[in-house]
Amino acid sequence: MNIKIGFEIHQQIATRRKMYCNCPTNYQEVLPNTNVCPICTGMPGAKPLPPNEQAVAAAIEIALMLGCKIVTGQTIYIQRKHYDYPDLPSGYQRTSLPIACDGELQGVRIREIHLEEDPGQYDPVAGTVDFNRSGVPLVEIVTEPDMKSPEEARKFLRILTRVLEYTGKVRPEAGGAMRTDVNISLEGGGRVEVKNINSVKGAYRALKYEIIRQREKLKRGETVRRETRAFLESQMITVPMRAKETEEDDRYIPDPDIFPLILEDKRVELARAKMAEPPHLRERRLIEKYGISRAAAEVIVSERELADFYEAVAKEADPKLAASWFRTKLKKVLNYMKLRAADIRFTPAQMAGLLRMVKSKRVTPEQAELVLRELAKRPADPQELVLELGLIPIEKSELKAAILKVLEENERAVEDYRAGKREAINFLTGKVLGMLKGRADPRKITKYIIDVLEKRRS
Amino acid sequence: VVQGTLEKVSAIQRGDLLAVENVGTFLDLIQKNDKKINSFLELNRGAQADAEAVDRRIKRGEKVGKLAGLVIGVKANINVIGLRASCASRTLENYVSTYDADVIKRVRAEDGVIIGINNMDEFACGSSGETSAFGPTENPAAPGHIPGGSSSGGGAAVAAGFCDLCLGTDTGGSIRNPASHCGIVGIKPTYGLVPRQGLIDLGMSLDQIGPLAPDVGGAALLLETIAGKTQNECVLLDVSEVSYVERLKDDGIKGMRIGVSPKFAEIADPAIMRVIDEQVEKLRDLGGEIVEVDLPNLEKAMPAYYLIVSVEFFSGTRKFDGRKYGKRIEDVCGEEVLRRIVRGRYISQKEYRGKYYQRALQVRTLIRHELMAALQQVDVIVGPTVPKLPHRLGTKLTPMEMYAYDYLTIPVNMAGTCAGVVKAGTINGIPVGLQVQGKVLGELDVLRVMRSLEAAA
Repeated sequence: MNIKIGFEIHQQIATRRKMYCNCPTNYQEVLPNTNVCPICTGMPGAKPLPPNEQAVAAAIEIALMLGCKIVTGQTIYIQRKHYDYPDLPSGYQRTSLPIACDGELQGVRIREIHLEEDPGQYDPVAGTVDFNRSGVPLVEIVTEPDMKSPEEARKFLRILTRVLEYTGKVRPEAGGAMRTDVNISLEGGGRVEVKNINSVKGAYRALKYEIIRQREKLKRGETVRRETRAFLESQMITVPMRAKETEEDDRYIPDPDIFPLILEDKRVELARAKMAEPPHLRERRLIEKYGISRAAAEVIVSERELADFYEAVAKEADPKLAASWFRTKLKKVLNYMKLRAADIRFTPAQMAGLLRMVKSKRVTPEQAELVLRELAKRPADPQELVLELGLIPIEKSELKAAILKVLEENERAVEDYRAGKREAINFLTGKVLGMLKGRADPRKITKYIIDVLEKRRS
Repeated sequence: VVQGTLEKVSAIQRGDLLAVENVGTFLDLIQKNDKKINSFLELNRGAQADAEAVDRRIKRGEKVGKLAGLVIGVKANINVIGLRASCASRTLENYVSTYDADVIKRVRAEDGVIIGINNMDEFACGSSGETSAFGPTENPAAPGHIPGGSSSGGGAAVAAGFCDLCLGTDTGGSIRNPASHCGIVGIKPTYGLVPRQGLIDLGMSLDQIGPLAPDVGGAALLLETIAGKTQNECVLLDVSEVSYVERLKDDGIKGMRIGVSPKFAEIADPAIMRVIDEQVEKLRDLGGEIVEVDLPNLEKAMPAYYLIVSVEFFSGTRKFDGRKYGKRIEDVCGEEVLRRIVRGRYISQKEYRGKYYQRALQVRTLIRHELMAALQQVDVIVGPTVPKLPHRLGTKLTPMEMYAYDYLTIPVNMAGTCAGVVKAGTINGIPVGLQVQGKVLGELDVLRVMRSLEAAA
């Protein structure tokens, strides 16, 4: 069955000030209705200040990272979209005509990008409105209906989230920073829009539900009407929105209180030169430049700071070895310590030094991992850490002595091995490793034990 | 006895007249006569104290502002902290301003004393002063007649001698129309010259705040006080400092090119045209060069204006939804306000946009080009302000008859240019004002022409 899915995504832009006034934007951290002024509460007579330049710049950068063409050299009107709801202090929301269009991300076409302002927060139960959020800048991203399954849609949203985070220009914290409307149509049915979705998971579930609902309807020979529905997160279903909420005409008019935006080519080129490389393109470049695996590249670009760190390390150590370490051991250490790449305190040079020691076999990978853990706690020269941790490579004679001793003390295991039980080797290796307090490479130990035992047999 | 507003402010600055006396005289007059005129909705209890503060500073020899001790009334759609910006509507009857409009800040910075809030047509929707929810205002210059609107209270207060100056607003003629009917001076500044921050909207793309004054000097003084860019608003022209009063002293109008249009006689009452034509002859005598200009589409501005203003007014009044200010506007407003909201709601619908709103915007562009082209050939255009004399209070007019008052003033708002009104004469004792239209930021030329006529009267 042919399914078409598209998104309208609203993401808060991380600015210090609101879109059309100078109120701070940290609405979650303050008491209700304290970040407000006559402008963002729509007091009679209040007029907007000129649009927040930081927000405009962020929207341009986001659009560029999504491969959009920026609308330059022509007037971009800020429009008033009228609707009657308690969270909207002036009875209209300001939204720009597209500032960019015709982008693409992972095969999904981006139709257009707008600048908007957030309304306040209405609590229908208490009957109160908090206008702290009113006027916080938003970027609205509209896609073409290019996704064909909920899985594909979910993947797109995840990648999009990563791109947005990469810009460093969006509000990262959870709690309504990203809101999504999805539209979905099945072959033979009308286009259904679902609102009130606040997470990637929510979008996936709403889509799953809608496909079943619409498919069943079509199977029964009923028609799927074009309509707007609301997602109920708690029940994971969608319900029709009241006609009143959808039929109302928004009556767009250009806001007479704001000069239209005009974006100059020069400004866009400057932004393009300064912008971060989008993660999906960076992934491709890392694979080609360093010859690393897609799996490793994917992990490395998952955070912008991690990718920056990787490229710094790759300058001073084997990029392939570094990639496999980033993908496995470093990621493991960061996860264990609940750190983000941005929180890493040791330097790329220290990490590179450690990897060079691994490469030259001065330390075993297991030892190096211990060093890495220590590095994450207290940045230092890895050579010194090796010494401090007592991880000096041992002499061959000491290793040999230890093996002989272990074999002597564990005759039973030796016999098991002779009887064909391969696991016995692992047991013996562990014993040797324990005796040497981890100062030897377990692969080497195993190899020596086998050598000794085979020699004895012959 | 002081002659004009400029002389009065000098007398106060010198200490020859106390600001507190100035306020006291006006308060007495208001007490005595405003029951009948109904030009004030609320008086500022702090006015005396504000005036005393100015006097104290003068006594100590400190520098005071250019409006020192002058008494100023403010239209009820401009926010003055602590006073009711009711827009003469039940919707906002209990709305006490929490902030000062930018123009009020500037008036205060120059030591003007705000005496109170003037009556007006409800939400500035009206041309007669009769749509106020708090009763109509009477014309002190033509008793029994309307003062014109929508800055009805301001026009009447200045004409009645209740204050030195008033701040009015003009969206389609709301300063010039009462100035004409009341025989005083009024100026609609170039769109974007005066900040609107704190002005409650009628039509955001047309509204301007401007002065109402007994003389040209007073109008020039108040205008230069409130004009100029702020960082506090988007839609302002890049004009930093303006000075009219000093430059008005320079010279007359010798060699100025003064436009007239045969179109005016098609629209205005012949009796009014006779008064206007006399003034045109006077301007010729004063050395002006009279040039005929072509304004073929002038009368198209009015119907287009009422579409645009209705859409903008509809949008601007959505905040009066009954959640924050007591009653919902549609539930309590008068019929002209409701008419405009309903019209705005209707024509801004998606299916009618092309038919009405877009067409109206096209006409606006046409009018702007036409007026700009005419103003390329001349320095100013002079003509009548209103096509007919003010009707008697209580006369029933159809909406179209009421709108017809604005035929000659609306084009200026549509083009975003400036215009001033000065008394031209009287017909059976009823004042008639001459409208002087200027280019974008041509206020000084407009003031010069008005000053010359005033001096020659």
